[in-house]
Parts: sequence; structure tokens; C-alpha cells
Amino acid sequence: MLTFLVRRVVAALGTLLLSSVLVFLAVQALPGDVATQVLGRDATPDAVAALRKQMGLDQPAWERYAEWIKGALHGDFGTSLVTTKPVGGEVAQHLGNSALIAVVTVLFAVTGSLVLGILAGLYRDRWPDHLISTVSLIGMSVPEFVVATVLVLAFSVTVPVLPAVVLYGPGAGVGQLLPAVWLPAASLAIVMAAYIVRMARTSVIDVMASEYVTTARLKGLSTWRVVTRHALPSALLPTLHVIALNVAWLVGGVAVVENVFNYPGIGKLLLTSVQNRDLPVIQAIALISAVVYVVCNLAADIGSMALNPRLRTRGGRIR
Amino acid sequence: MTSLPAPIVSVDELSVAYRSGGREVPVVHEVSLAVSPGRTLALVGESGSGKSTVAATLLGHLRHGSRITGGRVAVDGRDVFALSARELRRLRGGTVAMVAQNAGHALTPSMRIGRQIAEAGGEVPVTELLEQVRLPRPRELARRYPHELSGGQQQRVAIAMAIAARPKVLVLDEPTTGLDVITQRGVLDLIGALREELGLAAVLVSHDLGVVAHMADEVCVMHAGRVVEAAPTRRLFTAPAAPYTRRLLSSVPRVTDAGLALVGEDGTREIRPRAEVPADAAEAVSVRHVTIDYGTASRAVDGVSFSVRRGEVLALVGESGSGKSTIAWALAGLRVPSGGRMRAVAGGLRGGAAGGSAGGSAGAVAGGSSDGSSGGASGGPSADLSGAASDRSAGLSPGGSAGAWSGASSGGRSGAPSGASPGGDGDLGVPARRRPLALRRTVQLVFQNADTSLNPRRSVGDAVRRPLRFFGTAGSRGEAASRARQLIADVRLDPDFADRLPAQLSGGQRQRIGIARALAGEPEVLIADEITTGLDVSVQAEVLRLLDDLRRERELACLFISHDLAVVRGIADRVVVLRHGVVVEEGPTDVVFADPGHPYTRELMAAALEPEPGVGAERAAVAVEGWEDAAGPGGVWVELGGGHRVRRWRSADG
Repeated sequence: MLTFLVRRVVAALGTLLLSSVLVFLAVQALPGDVATQVLGRDATPDAVAALRKQMGLDQPAWERYAEWIKGALHGDFGTSLVTTKPVGGEVAQHLGNSALIAVVTVLFAVTGSLVLGILAGLYRDRWPDHLISTVSLIGMSVPEFVVATVLVLAFSVTVPVLPAVVLYGPGAGVGQLLPAVWLPAASLAIVMAAYIVRMARTSVIDVMASEYVTTARLKGLSTWRVVTRHALPSALLPTLHVIALNVAWLVGGVAVVENVFNYPGIGKLLLTSVQNRDLPVIQAIALISAVVYVVCNLAADIGSMALNPRLRTRGGRIR
Repeated sequence: MTSLPAPIVSVDELSVAYRSGGREVPVVHEVSLAVSPGRTLALVGESGSGKSTVAATLLGHLRHGSRITGGRVAVDGRDVFALSARELRRLRGGTVAMVAQNAGHALTPSMRIGRQIAEAGGEVPVTELLEQVRLPRPRELARRYPHELSGGQQQRVAIAMAIAARPKVLVLDEPTTGLDVITQRGVLDLIGALREELGLAAVLVSHDLGVVAHMADEVCVMHAGRVVEAAPTRRLFTAPAAPYTRRLLSSVPRVTDAGLALVGEDGTREIRPRAEVPADAAEAVSVRHVTIDYGTASRAVDGVSFSVRRGEVLALVGESGSGKSTIAWALAGLRVPSGGRMRAVAGGLRGGAAGGSAGGSAGAVAGGSSDGSSGGASGGPSADLSGAASDRSAGLSPGGSAGAWSGASSGGRSGAPSGASPGGDGDLGVPARRRPLALRRTVQLVFQNADTSLNPRRSVGDAVRRPLRFFGTAGSRGEAASRARQLIADVRLDPDFADRLPAQLSGGQRQRIGIARALAGEPEVLIADEITTGLDVSVQAEVLRLLDDLRRERELACLFISHDLAVVRGIADRVVVLRHGVVVEEGPTDVVFADPGHPYTRELMAAALEPEPGVGAERAAVAVEGWEDAAGPGGVWVELGGGHRVRRWRSADG
């Protein structure tokens, strides 16, 4: 069990290291010289050279990588080319704002979709199943910005209960941002939930048809007990990884939705930085997304270990 | 018999149907039966006879999509299908309990054993229940998960779960199918004892007539959803009335049969004498001191030696975990032995496989054609195109065969590189992917589970065609297709089956396709790994007959792996008994069965259940209770003559 855990953690760290190299290389491989891009086409060669020196671009790539990763480990991602402020602080601020959306989304999407998926699976081929399946299919096929727009139309324009756009900057407090969180979170949750609902439904159906669930029923147990004790642990296993992937997907999904709502989060920062070619910021955000992905998958692995005793025990037999 | 108490279970004119594609398909038709307290009723029949469906209705359970179309099921005086949900739950826990077919699947994988038993209700402590089903160290066991138990232990846990709430009726759905004879005997003895102890009425569902004869008081024979015969056990087995029952009974192989039983339409039995293997038949496979390890810790096979001659069926028998399947897998090249030598000694070069130098020589082996009729080493000499073939025949010619396995390939002639000579002669100690093509062709495996070893999305014709093309036995596409049809006909199936998918065939038909696929490579050695396990007796008889025909026609060397002694008795010429990866006894089948020398062999035979009430019980007394290995430096074997030898042992008591 411990070896399993250690192996997973080591693999996760390896993945992170690899992705940091990839992120670094990808940014380096962007067409054109960074200094030229920042200063524009008309810059004098002297100015370009000066900037290159300031950015450390005259040093070999691997040295720059080592420098960058060393800084990143201490939370120092360099300085923004646009605002000349430290990247770390700026990213952290936006990340905090996005986390607010993410937490709300995950909380509602995961619990809601699991409940719906399990219900659909239990009421297989009856009306609750048909209703849930159809709605989740629609949620799956509509892109998040359309969902967001429809939600704005409904709750900001027709019935103005929630703000359509955020008027505060990144430094706004939680109290100021909280009313603005609901619509972005809802649109993300709708798209995300669709996948989880469908996965939960199929695995619940599979498990409910298994022999051990039949045995549990024939033991005279109540349906509630059969479902919670016998069916769910096994049914949740495949769903867990779908949840992990979807939570990780939030990092990307947030970029689109935040721009629709002008929400000062990490997605908005990413888009602005790409437009401004603010390379250190892009690099930092890319690395953070990688961390989120890896952490989500590690969490799913540990979760499946909790649900599946085969992964925990060594399978020694009693003779 | 006259004053039986009122029945606790009574089923009246029960009919069940399920919906399929908008049609009602009847599965059970006007079945009536009754069981009194303390009695055991067996529902017997082949798969699809509706016996399990009837048994499940005693617990008010129907499969998804099925419904009652008539009749009534009453348990303990109450109509099961008229109960409210709450009352039904009380019935299931308290009045009727079920032991499901496959305990491995019937236990929830994510729950500890103890909790699963505890939630079945009742006042009896879990440890006491585990003790009652004779499980060791109950306290420790209760904390285990199902996958940490062996198959027999899982079945015992399932029984403990069923008797937890002290029910009045126990429904046993194929409780020992898939367990080996010794484990089966243990579980059945336990069920029998608990039945007495708790005064249970039992309904036993089984396709195994040996189990039924051993356990039941009354028997209902079902066929296609109807009861064809119902009678007290002894009368049913001694004087079956219905032709179907007679046929069913005749199909069951007996430990006393000296050959395969051929069953007529009217249920008459005729024993076909075993095909005589010529005394000078060439060795086809030789296994010497082979050891196979799983990982570093456990040794599955320990120093096993045997050989199979052409046209001979050698049976490997033993309980699960004895290493018999491991040996099969190693011979097929799916597992590499960690010690010892395994060789295939080819008897004939076929289809002009990549031969060495030209130059036919006298004394080459007969049957160099590609028509599948194999040439035995005993056949008349004929010219062969390959020099390599003559290399082999030099070692294999009559007289030089017995025991000369090492000389056969490497020492016989110069120029035959060991392990790589074309034509199928070579070292089997390497994995399949590193074997030369011809050698791979020589040794073919038929899997235990035909339904999982065939690709469900490919037609069975495809499955047979692939090895034909792969081994180059058929040149063109058209030839492969026609050869595939021929092979399907060879296994006694309609060649038009080639276009069907595996799901459209029955279990026995799929197993035949598995055999046809193995034959496509024109092998000289066929490994049959429990190929009749899980088949209905009549289907099993057909598959065995086919295998027997094929080895006669093609002089196949066949390694037959089974835990079913009655089957082995009918088909095998010689028997090797394995225990914990070690050979304890070997010899000609008739001799070993008539006079088993090793206590373990006796134990196996005692555990085998015959379809004759009361027979097994007498034989159990023959088994020696305690014994230990006495093999010392003075010699491992006691030779009894005629190739019959027994590993040295002594009574444990001194």
C-alpha cells in the first residue's frame, strides 16, 4: 500500500518536472525573439540587446531554465513584462479569485451530478432517467460560453438578480466578488456535470446488475443499504477519474467563462497576457495548470485506493 | 415416507416469461413442486432449462424483464409474490436464504467479510458463524476482503451469510460449480451437516448429477422450462422413467467407465474402448524436471517430468492450485519455466515449412502432405523434401523413441541446431514469441473458456482463418476460407457457422470452434485446459467424443487437463496426478484407477461424486487420513511396473 502511494507520488513529481520543461521549451519556441516582440518592430538593435541582457536571454537555455525553476520553487516567477510587477503576486491574486469560482463549481457540480447520475442509474429506463439523461446530453453538447450567455440573459437581463459583469479589479475582496461568482460557476457546473452524470449513471447500472448486488438484495437488505454499502463504492471508482479530469478541465474552462463575465481570475489574466505577450506570466500559469492536473489525478488515485481494497491489501490468503 | 410434514415450499403451476424484442418468451412452464422441512429437493437440468429461475422465485426474485404469467409460489404458507416490499425483505433474510452460484462474484468486493455476514441479520455472532462453516481463524478472517480468500473459502463465507439469520429454507444455486473435487466435497459435506443441524429444507440447483445423487432426497428434472420427471432420488437414478432423464444419466461419465461412453437417443450406453496407442509410438512432448515459479516467492510447479506420445492422451489431474494449468501455459509458451527442459519432438514435416537443405532420404516420416492427416512415426517410410525431417526421423524411428528424447533432436544427427530446427522440433522452454513459427504451430492450446477466448466481434470463421493465414498453412484467401469451412466441419459443425459470431453459438459449439482454431495450425500436440468444465453433461460428452475422434484420426498427442476424474477415466490413456506442483503418482489410467497407490490419489477418487446415491460415501473410507512425503535420497519413486509409479509416502502417525 505504501509502495503504491510512493510510486504514484514519484510519478506525479516526474510528470510535473517534465511538464515544466515542456512549458519552458514551448515558450522559447514561440516564433521571433522575445525582446523584439516586447519592444516592437522599430526597436533599435541596442535597445533589443539591452532588454535581452536584462531578461537574461543572452545566457544558454538550460541555465535560464534552471534559474526559472529555482525561482518557481520559491514562488518567484520573475517580473511581468507589461506591469513590471512580480509575476508571483499577480498570479496568486488572480488564482485566489478563480479558486472562489472553482470551489463553488466543484462543490455543486460534483455533488449534484453524482446524485443525479446515481438516480438515473437506479431508475434506469424510467422517466427520471430519461429526463436526467436528456438534460445532461444537452449540457454536454452546448459550449460553456453559450451557457454563460443564456444565464446572463436569464438572471441579469430578464430577471436582474445577479450581476452580468464584474466591475472590480483583481484586488477586490471576497465580499465584493461573491455575488459575481454564481453565474460563472453555474455555467461551468452545467457543462462539467453532464460528463459526471453520464459516467455515474453507466457505472451504477453496471454495478446494480452485478451478482453481489443481487446477493445483497436477496439477503433482505433495504434498497438504501444495498445502494450505499454495496453498490456505490464500486460504482464510484470509474466516476472518480472522470471527476478528476473535469476538475482539472476547470482551469481551461474558467478562461472562457471569466472573459464572458469580465471576472478578474486566472483565465482573464491568461488571455490578457497572451494578447500582451507577457511571457513570464504565461509560463507561470501554464505551470500552475500542470500542477492542478497532476494534483487532481493524484487525488483520484488515492481516492480509488480508499474505495478498492484490492489496491490496499496484498491479497495474502489464509490457508 | 407417508407422514411427511406439510411442505414449507410449494410451487403450483408456475409460469415465467421475459420480454425480448416485444415478444414474450416463456422460460418456465407450469412447474409444480413441494419441499418439506428437513428435506432436500434438487432441480436438475441443463443450462437454459429454467431451474435457476424457479429457484430464485422462492425468494421473490425475477430477472430484469421477467414476469410471472401464471401460478403461485408459497413459502411458509405465504404467497411470495403477493408480499409487500417490507414483508418480502423479511422473507429474504429470515425465512429463505440463497447461496449464489459463484461466491467470487456474489461477495461485495469493497466490504470486509465480517460486515457482510453481520448485515445478513440474526443474533449469531459472526465468528461463531465462520466457525460453523469450518473456516480457520474466524477472528482474522472476518477482517479480510473477499479477494483475499480462496474459492472454497468464499463459498463457505457465502454459506455463513445465508445461515446467519437461521432461515427455514436454503436455496443453493450450483453451490459447487467451479470448485475442484476435493473443495466441492468439503462444501457439500458442510451443507449436509448444517442441514441436519439446523433442520433446513433445501432446494439445490445443479447440473451435476453426482452432486444431486449425493445430496438430494427428491429430484425434479427440468428441460426447456418444464418438469420432465420428478421422483425420489434413489428411484430416479435406478429407474429413470422419462427418456430425457435416461439420456441425461447416461451422458454422465463414470469413474468406472473404461472408455468414452457413447449415448444413444434412447439413453442406452455403450462404452467405446480406448484407442490402443502402439507400444512404439514416438514421443511428441517431453518434459523433464520442469520448475515454474510465480515471482520469487511461490513455486507453482516443482520438478515435474512426463512425456506424451503421438496418438496418446495424457491427463494431468489435481485440485486447483496443483500447477496443472501452469504446466499447460508453459508448454504453450505463455510462461517460461525457471528450470528443467521441455521439448517438442516433431513426428512429421507438413506443408513444406521452411525446410533446410534438399535431399530426401530414406526413413523419413510419412505424411508430409498438408491435408491434415498426420503421419505417425510408425507409418511407412516415404521420401521427404527436407533434410531436417530426416534428422528427426533418425531419432524417432521405432526403437529409438522410448526414453531417447535427448538423442532425438540434438544427438541424433549433426546439423540440427537445438531449439531452432524447422518443422516443429525444438525447445519449448522459451516464450511463444521467441519460438520459430513451425514450433509454435506444433503445440496448440485450447482454452478453458471458449466464450472469452474468442473475439466477440469477429465471426468464428475469422477466428479459424487467422491461424491458417498466420502459419502459412493456407496460401490464398480463398484457400483459407475453404480450409476454415473444412475445419469447422471437422469439429462436427455445420460449415455455414463460419459467418456467425461467437455470441450466436452455444457453449459447446464455441468450444468446438476453439478446437478447430487450434487444429488450424495442424498441431502435433494439443493442450486441452479444462475444456469441458462448465459444459452440460450431454455437451461435454460430445466434446470428449470429438477430441477422441481427432486424436485417432490425426494421431495427436494430447495433454488433457482436468480435475474431473470421471472424464479423465474415459478419455485418457495415462494419468499424472499433481499435488502442489509435484507429481505424486503416474501410470496407465486403468491401473491407477483400479489401484491408486498414493493417498492423495485416493483422496481425489473418494471426493469424486458418482451419479449413484450412496456410492461416494463408501469410497470415502478408503482415503488415508494423515500422510507425509517420504521421498528420501534412497529414491523418490516406488515402481509398481507397467509404467505405474507412486511417490514414496508414509503414514503421518508413524
